[in-house]
Amino acid sequence: MTTVLDKPVPSPAAADTLIDPNRTRATPYVFIAPAMSGIGLFVLLPALLSFIGSFFAIPLAPGANWKWVGFDNYTSVFGDPAAHRAIENTLLYCVMTIIPSLVLGLLLALLAESLRHGRTLVRTALFLPMTANLVAMAVVFKWIFALQGGFANQALAWIGVAPINWLNDTRYSLISVALVGVWRGVSLTMLLFLAGLTTIPGAIHEAAAAEGIRGWAKLRTLILPMIKPTIVFATVLSILTSIQAFDQINVMTQGGPQESSETVLTYTWKVGFSYFQLGKASALSFVLIAVLIGIGLIRRRAFSAEQR
Amino acid sequence: MTTTALPARLIRWLLVLIAVVISLFPFYWMLRTALAPQSQQLADGLGFWPSHLDFGNFARAWDKANLGQALLNGLIITGAILLLQLITCVPAAYAFAKIRFRGSGVLFGVVLACLLIPTQATMVPTFIGINIFGLGDTRIGLVLPFYSSAFGIFLLRQQMLAIPDALLDAARTDGLGPWRTLLRVVVPMSMPSIAAFAIFSVFTHWNDYLWPLLVARSPDLATPPLRLAVFQQADIGFDYSALAAGAAIVTAPILILFLFAQRRFVQGMAGGEIAG
Repeated sequence: MTTVLDKPVPSPAAADTLIDPNRTRATPYVFIAPAMSGIGLFVLLPALLSFIGSFFAIPLAPGANWKWVGFDNYTSVFGDPAAHRAIENTLLYCVMTIIPSLVLGLLLALLAESLRHGRTLVRTALFLPMTANLVAMAVVFKWIFALQGGFANQALAWIGVAPINWLNDTRYSLISVALVGVWRGVSLTMLLFLAGLTTIPGAIHEAAAAEGIRGWAKLRTLILPMIKPTIVFATVLSILTSIQAFDQINVMTQGGPQESSETVLTYTWKVGFSYFQLGKASALSFVLIAVLIGIGLIRRRAFSAEQR
Repeated sequence: MTTTALPARLIRWLLVLIAVVISLFPFYWMLRTALAPQSQQLADGLGFWPSHLDFGNFARAWDKANLGQALLNGLIITGAILLLQLITCVPAAYAFAKIRFRGSGVLFGVVLACLLIPTQATMVPTFIGINIFGLGDTRIGLVLPFYSSAFGIFLLRQQMLAIPDALLDAARTDGLGPWRTLLRVVVPMSMPSIAAFAIFSVFTHWNDYLWPLLVARSPDLATPPLRLAVFQQADIGFDYSALAAGAAIVTAPILILFLFAQRRFVQGMAGGEIAG
């Protein structure tokens, strides 16, 4: 039926699509133009300028000229122990947040899915961290992790462990902000995994039950392969969230003490907007991106070697 | 499923319970601290419930942090961004999902690439650009960089792919031009995903901290999280009661929105089905 209707029928009703074919041809471009201009101007162009800018000394004053400095900004990043620290911390933060978020998120999604009663209530409770204002929650977590009177230390005292200076001890500050990252990250990955799990047809579960495939075997051979797109999506989103972690670090530790919780983003912020070394700030971002791509390539190579 | 052994079910429930407690604890602790009298802050210790309730903390936070103004700013900015994103992203998503045109593959690739570019790679030039055009420290400067959204195009397109072609063909033979097809057929059919994206956008921009921290220098422009962070760094010091009350005020609007819109949001993010 549709094939017949597809052909241009010279009826008066279809006239406006027929008379002016040019307009119709232009329509998709008109449709995408506003949106594409937005991401072009505020994502692509800045990213490009940022890359170019990493080879210049950039004055903040409008109209002042950029000065070509070659690789000076990069040399400055490589020679800056604080920058090394920031990259190292970012990678550590990623490991501490991404893996728990993915594993716990999947586990909780499977658990929540398997409940027969109270499913909606449990889901709502587990989704809440994702919606919360991270600055507001960081304020609360700062109080929970306070050295004196904070809940965390009171709980430790309860089981007879000495208080920990969560936010002002170089050994614990990064872990503390990462815990907040996980608390929030799990909520998001769980939502994605739940969404992924609902796409598995009920017939698959019935067939598995009939074949006696359950538990770990079912997860590994059936469920994980079927939600692979979700796993990829959740991983990418987790990586992006983790390398952009800023709010709770800025509120809880300001990158301190002694740069122990400084990440690339918080340090870029300081270099760019406190020390006004905008070129170096850009260079720092691209070093991080290069490191991430490098790790991705190594992982892929290791993975494909394993496959062989 | 009815054959699951009792111990297994108990363990399952226990794990779920632990997760729920951890998930909700910070919210509970926020309210508990906000409702306890300031003087009892340390004395109450691990007490599950404050010794008596005190709503004075909310009044103190509201006044000292000027939260009324901040909430209004948040509403204006979040609302403006949402409106602009819907106007730009819905037609774009429709074009990418349902209209064949030259370069659509490449252009959609650009959208996907933009999804992967982190903030730190765009922050510095955007900031300089906004300042060059004299938009630093203005509401327009807070809104403009977000008038389009790569994620919005991506999410909406995913769902619009599921609209049957036959329906669009029928609309065309009925004499509906592309604009009216978009407004009368595509938009109503994509309502679940549009709602989901709208909620996502509101979450993101109500909660955004980094960009307002850069752009909104005058206190009158501060958004709720920015105001709360400044309040926290100011000389309030250890007045955790007022801070927690402020945190509760900033969190509440989004939380309430989520509780009402949760089903829509989860369905829309889940993708696939077009039926509401």
